[in-house]
Amino acid sequence: MTAIATNPPRDRRSPLERAYARLGVLLIAPTIIVFSLVIVYPLLAAIYLSVFSIYTPTLQGDFVGAANYIELLTGGAFWHSLGVTLIWTVGTLSLQIIAGIGLALLLHQNIWFRSLARSLVLFPYFLSTVVAVLVWRWLFNDLYGALNHGLIQLGILDMPLDWLGSMPNAMIGVILVGAWKYFPFVVIAVLARLQTIPENLYEAARIDGAGPVGRFFDITLPQLRSVLVVIILLRAIWDFKEFDLLYLLTGGGPVTSTQTLSLLVYQEAFGLNQMGQAAAYSVGMMLVMLAFMVLYIRRTGGK
Amino acid sequence: MANVTFRNVRKSFGEFVALEELDLHINEGEFVALLGPSGCGKSTTLRMLAGLEFPTSGEIMIGDRVVNDLAPGKRDIAMVFQSYALYPHMSVGENIGYPLKKRGIKGRERDDAVQKAAELLQLDALLDRKPKQLSGGQQQRVALGRALVRDPQVFLLDEPLSNLDAKLRSYMRAELIELHRRLGKTMVYVTHDQLEAMTMASRIAVMHGGRVQQFDTPDAIYNRPANRFVAGFIGTPPMNQVEGTVEGGHFITGGHKVPIDRSAYADALRDGPVVLGVRPEAITIGKGEGLPATVRLAENTGHETIVTLELPDRTRISARVEAARRLDVGHSVALTFDPDAIHLFEASATGARLNLDAKSASVVSMRSK
Ligand SMILES: Nc1ncnc2c1ncn2[C@@H]1O[C@H](COP(=O)(O)OP(=O)(O)OP(=O)(O)O)[C@@H](O)[C@H]1O
Ligand SMILES: [Mg+2]
Repeated sequence: MTAIATNPPRDRRSPLERAYARLGVLLIAPTIIVFSLVIVYPLLAAIYLSVFSIYTPTLQGDFVGAANYIELLTGGAFWHSLGVTLIWTVGTLSLQIIAGIGLALLLHQNIWFRSLARSLVLFPYFLSTVVAVLVWRWLFNDLYGALNHGLIQLGILDMPLDWLGSMPNAMIGVILVGAWKYFPFVVIAVLARLQTIPENLYEAARIDGAGPVGRFFDITLPQLRSVLVVIILLRAIWDFKEFDLLYLLTGGGPVTSTQTLSLLVYQEAFGLNQMGQAAAYSVGMMLVMLAFMVLYIRRTGGK
Repeated sequence: MANVTFRNVRKSFGEFVALEELDLHINEGEFVALLGPSGCGKSTTLRMLAGLEFPTSGEIMIGDRVVNDLAPGKRDIAMVFQSYALYPHMSVGENIGYPLKKRGIKGRERDDAVQKAAELLQLDALLDRKPKQLSGGQQQRVALGRALVRDPQVFLLDEPLSNLDAKLRSYMRAELIELHRRLGKTMVYVTHDQLEAMTMASRIAVMHGGRVQQFDTPDAIYNRPANRFVAGFIGTPPMNQVEGTVEGGHFITGGHKVPIDRSAYADALRDGPVVLGVRPEAITIGKGEGLPATVRLAENTGHETIVTLELPDRTRISARVEAARRLDVGHSVALTFDPDAIHLFEASATGARLNLDAKSASVVSMRSK
């Protein structure tokens, strides 16, 4: 009894179990070290920087306490960019989900070009953002853009439109390009899940009198629920943080109409050389994201 | 009117012919079992009746309607799948109520119908559970409930008891018989378990090689098998088959004469090769007079012993004797067959019964077309 009380692990676990435990620690150690280096350190550094007023080129500055956070709360720039970020995220994410499910359903049918279409659909996702944006900028160009040309030819427009230089076209433009770039991710994830839905559920539903629409809402959608929860979570995080696509397409413009939080942080840090303020914005951004994630997981994770 | 007719139905999957020629007429209110070995096309037959599979040619009728071009939901049938196919995200109550929901039956009316079906199947305490939280037998009853909640013309059941343990299976068998008696609906029941078919069905369609081999009452299937396949499929162990010849009205095998009841054959008994069929329980094992055989195996099941015997030409046959009987392996014995329980079949591949009556004969004549 006393031996167990004073030395419990040695008495309870066999040498083999202890060897396994050591191996386990050894195996996760690299992950923990890398995780600390690339996630925990920058996070702490950002929080540290956010209470200083720092000039970016020299990284020198003074302690200012909560001043950067007061600016965040009262300055307006953060709230404006938060609004822009939400519009962008909700807009592009909804389009990605709708287009993704739609195309996945189409590719799940036995159409003759299915295997070709399945690989083609991944194309935008594989394409480097820089290349994709160059192509889209060329399409959107107000002087020689193919989009304007086509729309005028079709008689839908009678004057060339400045797609990325005016609102709300610029926002619509980036939302569309974002949806185009990332919907393949949704297609692949949904398609994989569709293939595992047992065929006899559909057969049972047909006998029970459900039509195609009924079968979609009563079987397909509930069966996709778990995968959609994950896709929406991942894509929401990525879209919320999206930088390169927006930066390259509009740079946040016109003026600040498409300046999301990521772009605001960048602009503050490298445009205005205010590293401290930028750090405060990024901490704010992280808190907003965290709040949304907690809410979302609470609402969906229960079932 | 809800009889079911398959007329000249053929079904192929690409090159592969699953059903060559299917002719069945099922009367209203009948409980028909489709029985046969794995892959003989039982499920395909049922699925064509449900509208989930389309016949390559031929006609399927429910009542007076040709249903070939009718969607499954419009055929007024209910089906229980082998794998149950319960909707995993719906509760038991929602599962049972789904066919009504899709037919626009709402509110109280639907709740009452679900309640009634649930009570019938003793599911009323489980209505709020998800299928995942149920045992196999409970899931099976939910699948039945989803079929029973409506008042369809025909019930289709595809091996609904195959996933259950022996005890639950015999319980559900009794339940289904009772249910059929109470509802009086046409039921088509697919199974490869002959015990289920023999105990539940009013008629059994024995299927093999894409054809119906015999469609008759369990009694006739057992006592007057239409051909060698049916004889060798029904019974555990099935009917023994001994090759030999008919000479001058006697059956001769390996130089030994086996007495047969000639009056049962009239002019069908011509000289030439035939196959003699005899059930294990119609064999007497003795000494002296009879067909010589060697005991190869004696399996005591508790209430009886199944003896495997080998004839001089190496044909193995089984016999059923009382459990107390001691038979030593390797010993020579003499077999006598009960002359009234002897069946004779053609020696051809189809092996039709020699003294077929008109009804069974029609099935066989179609087979040789
Ligand atoms: N969709 C299909 N494509 C090709 N062949 C099929 C298809 N469905 C069934 N078959 C074939 O048709 C034959 C009959 O199949 P079916 O499912 O009706 O058999 P079954 O009698 O129900 O057998 P089991 O007792 O194993 O369920 C089988 O040989 C099967 O391989
Ligand atoms: Mg089957």
